[in-house]
Amino acid sequence: MQLQISIILAVMVFAYIIAKWKKLSVEVSMLAAALVGGLAGAFVATPPINQLARHLVEGAFTYLDVILVFVTATIFMAIVSESGGVNYVVRGTIKLFYNLRLIALLILMVIILIPGALTGAGSVSLLVVGAPVAMALGYLGVKKKKAAAILFIVAGLSAAAPPVNIWAMILSAGTAIPYVGFELPLGIPVLILGTFSILVLGWKKEGNSDRETALKEMPEITANMTWWRVLLPFVVFFGLVAASRIWPFAYPVLGLPLQFVLAGLTALLVSPIKINILKLSRDTVKKLLPLLATMIIVGMLQQVMTATGVRGFLSFAVISTPLVLLFILLAIIIPFSEGVLTYGGAAIIGIPLVWFLDSIGLHATIVIAGLSLLWPLGDGLPPTALIGRLSIMVSDYKGSYWSFLKSTWLPWLVITAVGILMVIFSARLDFLVKWSM
Amino acid sequence: MPKQWKIKVILILIVAAAVITAGIQLYNHRHYRMLLTAGPGVTKVHMLSDYCSGLKGTMADTHVFFLKGKEPGGKMLILANTHSNEPASLLAALIFLENAVVEKGTLIIIPQFNNSGGRNTRPGDGYPLYFEIQTSWGTKKFRMGNRDASPLDQWPDPDVYVHYPDKQLLSFLDIRNTNRTWPGRPNGALMEKVTYAAMELMRTEKVDMTVDIHGAETMFPVTNCIVAPEKAIRIATMTSLTLKAREGFDNHVEPSPSGFRGLSHREIGDFSDTLPFLLEAPLPFLDQPTGPKTVKLLLDGKDPFLLSLAKKNKLFVPYDESGWPMENRVGQHCSAVLELLRQFSRKSPDRSIQVKNVPRYAGIVKNGVGYYYHNPATINKKDLYFN
Repeated sequence: MQLQISIILAVMVFAYIIAKWKKLSVEVSMLAAALVGGLAGAFVATPPINQLARHLVEGAFTYLDVILVFVTATIFMAIVSESGGVNYVVRGTIKLFYNLRLIALLILMVIILIPGALTGAGSVSLLVVGAPVAMALGYLGVKKKKAAAILFIVAGLSAAAPPVNIWAMILSAGTAIPYVGFELPLGIPVLILGTFSILVLGWKKEGNSDRETALKEMPEITANMTWWRVLLPFVVFFGLVAASRIWPFAYPVLGLPLQFVLAGLTALLVSPIKINILKLSRDTVKKLLPLLATMIIVGMLQQVMTATGVRGFLSFAVISTPLVLLFILLAIIIPFSEGVLTYGGAAIIGIPLVWFLDSIGLHATIVIAGLSLLWPLGDGLPPTALIGRLSIMVSDYKGSYWSFLKSTWLPWLVITAVGILMVIFSARLDFLVKWSM
Repeated sequence: MPKQWKIKVILILIVAAAVITAGIQLYNHRHYRMLLTAGPGVTKVHMLSDYCSGLKGTMADTHVFFLKGKEPGGKMLILANTHSNEPASLLAALIFLENAVVEKGTLIIIPQFNNSGGRNTRPGDGYPLYFEIQTSWGTKKFRMGNRDASPLDQWPDPDVYVHYPDKQLLSFLDIRNTNRTWPGRPNGALMEKVTYAAMELMRTEKVDMTVDIHGAETMFPVTNCIVAPEKAIRIATMTSLTLKAREGFDNHVEPSPSGFRGLSHREIGDFSDTLPFLLEAPLPFLDQPTGPKTVKLLLDGKDPFLLSLAKKNKLFVPYDESGWPMENRVGQHCSAVLELLRQFSRKSPDRSIQVKNVPRYAGIVKNGVGYYYHNPATINKKDLYFN
């Protein structure tokens, strides 16, 4: 069986390489790998040929919820931006904090951390506050590449931050460990690493501009724009999120997509200028299309990999690795699993890994917290690179993707080291769990 | 027509053909009517919505079979397919449903507890849609379901699931998992209504013990076991020891963690007088490091990767070339339920429950699961239920 699966895997990789060589996009190349992999598997009835179409279509729906969140959140922020709200916020921030750089950077970090911490999705952080924060960083003298790097690292940490960490929740659900006691094991490293990252990447000021010059360079504020017009849509969104936590049993489940739609409608109603919502929505979805296509095709790829046994083979290879080597390889395995499978990586590799590490005496909750710091890094890696691509999009960085990714090297290494050390010394860090409860 | 447009049209037609083919297969799966044969012991049949009106007319409503003995006694509830991708539970429940004759007390069986989950698939996980069990009269076909209810029946999911009533935060997916929504509530999400209806059934019928039957990965520490809270642990321990001594298979006892909410073995005991037990039998199909997810793997439990991991001591159950066949899993469940009944009856003679004609582990391993299913052609039509 191992040979059979290895051949299917090789065929998939070959199909991907050929498609890239023919200069097809990442999305189409992944689709080619999924199709060819499925056909290769069908030769040995894994899956049966009459089930191949079903597997591809079913797989395409794996991340439907995430896709809906992306679309609605991006349209919401596009409305806020179009109404002049983003410019207004950035101008206000620069006016107040331009000469207090440390405080300005820390405030911007907290602003990025909050939406992701509340929803468990770094993408929500970027889609909701990414654009204004990137602009504010720009006027604070942070280059676009560094601003994109800050957004990527801090948005990733926001997804790992408590109270909602989806990787930890998937692992807890899959390993029958209660999702409790994560506040300090996640909260402390996220705050320390977030502060470190934003200072390392954003402390150095580029150029000689001062507060007045920066304000002069900024776009004019839209007439009649006021603080309440900017804040109200956000109050509606965070109010809806908060209400579902404060009165969970008296409040209907709306879901993030509808919450973003309601916030978007509010932004539309209070906008000081008239917005053509149909055109804006069409343009926004057009911009998002590559990202949405990636999510659909990653689901198909994941389904084909499971039906052919490739996914299980990769999981087997990870679990079979000797312990010391495994600790070292966590730096590669965990981010790459996220890059290929997004949250699927936590289920496929994370669950058996946590069971194994738990059985040799490590503390499962701290292990999960440590791994949770590594997974967001994978959101910058191809083929999906979800958070990386969003960071570039909202910060309007026009350089190459690799030059952006390279600029994150120092925080990336420090976060990796902290995550792995938390896993290795998890048994000694169990006091963090006790103090959280 | 320009060449580029021709290519686009051809691609659209190919995608449409794939979507239509897949759509028909998935629609048929969701609406496939599985046969439930009521045996001679069945005395009445209710719907779960009789205990929570909010379930009426939904895909979550499901049959509740009562097998009442001639003599009064205690009552046991058997829940199967709480997770519909753990099918040994359903197969064991159907052996009880088709064969059990209750002499004393009452047996209540819900074979498809998460009925919506039984009609759901698992995107990304490449499951087969159906599996078949061989019998002497042909094959009996079953839907392969999912752990969670279908989003077609309960949607949207929250960004995080707040458990009722403890307010513990759980993964957003678990709001569709009927082993995280206990004790449920009448005006909550659909799966909370399902577990609430079961709680109401237990409270109104004064059920003494409930057995929730599951399957778990061989790499999961909580497998091959009986999970029970403090008040049921003594019966679980006696059952485990007796099964090992008399029938030769391991089924250790795991205490129900008090800090992990929403589980049947925790909440049923905390919110009613019923003693809850949860049975887990190893299910290699659910393990991550396996070959393709085929019907064969589901039924025989044989996998070379798991065998290799077993040799490296990375599994929590014994595992060799013979795998972990369905007969062994179903046999374990049947014997464990019968032994729980016996131990409970010994402890509470006034609430004793006596059941006959249900095979035990050795019989099922020897004869196969299908041996105990009856030919529907020979059964009175009023005893055939389709769901």
